[in-house]
Amino acid sequence: MKYGLFLGCNVPAVRPDVERAIRLSMPRLGAEMADLPGSVCCPAFGSFPSADETASLAVSAWNFSIAEDLGVPMVTQCGSCYSSLRMALERLHGDDALREKVQGLLRGKAGREFRGTAEVRHITDVLFNDIGAERIRGSLEFPLDGMSAVVQYPCHTLYPSEIVGFEESSGRPRMLRGLVEALGAEVRPYSRELQCCGGAGGFVKGSFAGASEYAFRKLRALRAETDAGMIVVSCITCLEHMDRMQAELAKKDPAYVPLPVFDYNQLLAVCMGFDPAEVASISTVPREALVERIRGAGR
Amino acid sequence: MIDLSKVDAGLWREVVESCGDIRHCFTCSTCVAGCPAAEASPPLFVRDLVRKVLLGLSESLLEDETPWLCVTCSACEEMCPMGVKPFEICLAVRRWQARNDESFIPASVAEIFETGHTQPVDRVREKRRAVGLEEVPPTIARFPEMLEKFREMLRETDLVKNNEFMFKG
Repeated sequence: MKYGLFLGCNVPAVRPDVERAIRLSMPRLGAEMADLPGSVCCPAFGSFPSADETASLAVSAWNFSIAEDLGVPMVTQCGSCYSSLRMALERLHGDDALREKVQGLLRGKAGREFRGTAEVRHITDVLFNDIGAERIRGSLEFPLDGMSAVVQYPCHTLYPSEIVGFEESSGRPRMLRGLVEALGAEVRPYSRELQCCGGAGGFVKGSFAGASEYAFRKLRALRAETDAGMIVVSCITCLEHMDRMQAELAKKDPAYVPLPVFDYNQLLAVCMGFDPAEVASISTVPREALVERIRGAGR
Repeated sequence: MIDLSKVDAGLWREVVESCGDIRHCFTCSTCVAGCPAAEASPPLFVRDLVRKVLLGLSESLLEDETPWLCVTCSACEEMCPMGVKPFEICLAVRRWQARNDESFIPASVAEIFETGHTQPVDRVREKRRAVGLEEVPPTIARFPEMLEKFREMLRETDLVKNNEFMFKG
């Protein structure tokens, strides 16, 4: 299995330990992650898609053309990248005149070709459907036996399901749960499991108090209703935001004890025995103690 | 009171471009019920944006900054019983605003034009080296000749042509 790793902007710049975790863990499961040389911002919804549709689709098609040259499906961890690329692909396939205009832009000045064969996958889709829980289970040096977690499904992989969806039901997603269970942990449900983290777009910047309260409500429910020892996500925005918002809440309310937050591939890489200093070293809420516990449990 | 003799009756045709049929909206507010940014102050109520578009209230729409609060989760798009595509309406209103008032054009478009990215992926070398990665990722940050072509392509778009002052490089 060969894929093209679409990095986007936040993973390589803000949380490169996630990039490292993906680059180390996926090949061990038989998934070769090729580079997409020359790729650019997806583009983020708050950028070109909010300013000019044709320019926006030209940026998306630039990225598609790189993956098409290599003949590999694009795989991304970032929910926003995933959704932006999927929606752009849908738009380009659905409107002949627009597609020809965008193809003309690419051909003319950039000398690139958008053929329309590009495919965009989220990394949890690849992990669950292409690789499977059994193979993941077989790859672990330090399974999470006896530990519990909650999961955060990336909204951008759920809605709108007819364009971005790969779960059977967007109202009852199960893949991230299945992936965490494959690591040996139990996954605890809670009332606000499907509430968006609220970290993407302009909410936090435009209304910090409202966005904080929105996140706090979720975090408080998570703590009150479960005994989970960690939060597992698979989206760079969920990762950064749930990490940051827990620190904010703990500042305001010392009774709130924040939980370590992991990107799924980070946790997978730790369980596979890769060096935590490379695959899980950047966070606000400390993860070292839990990582040590995980690595100790395997011995 | 809205004076319907002074509204812009063709506004919806200008705004919606490719969205679902906005005229099917009957203000049921499902798009508000599941929306994180409906908790902002002032709140984002997509149903209100739809009303403004349908009634032709262009002046009010041009002063409305709430579409920029959207978290892009697209739950509204999943839930809308009328197939109105509220999230795409948010983006379409932003684009209409950006076309009619350049101060709405997000600074990130100029950043992407300049560097290909919204984050300084080529200026975190130590951080990347520390986790065992190549200092500059294999994106356009590593290929200046591709960046030049990327900019050439964007220079052909209306956005860049009409707002040259924003785009350097």
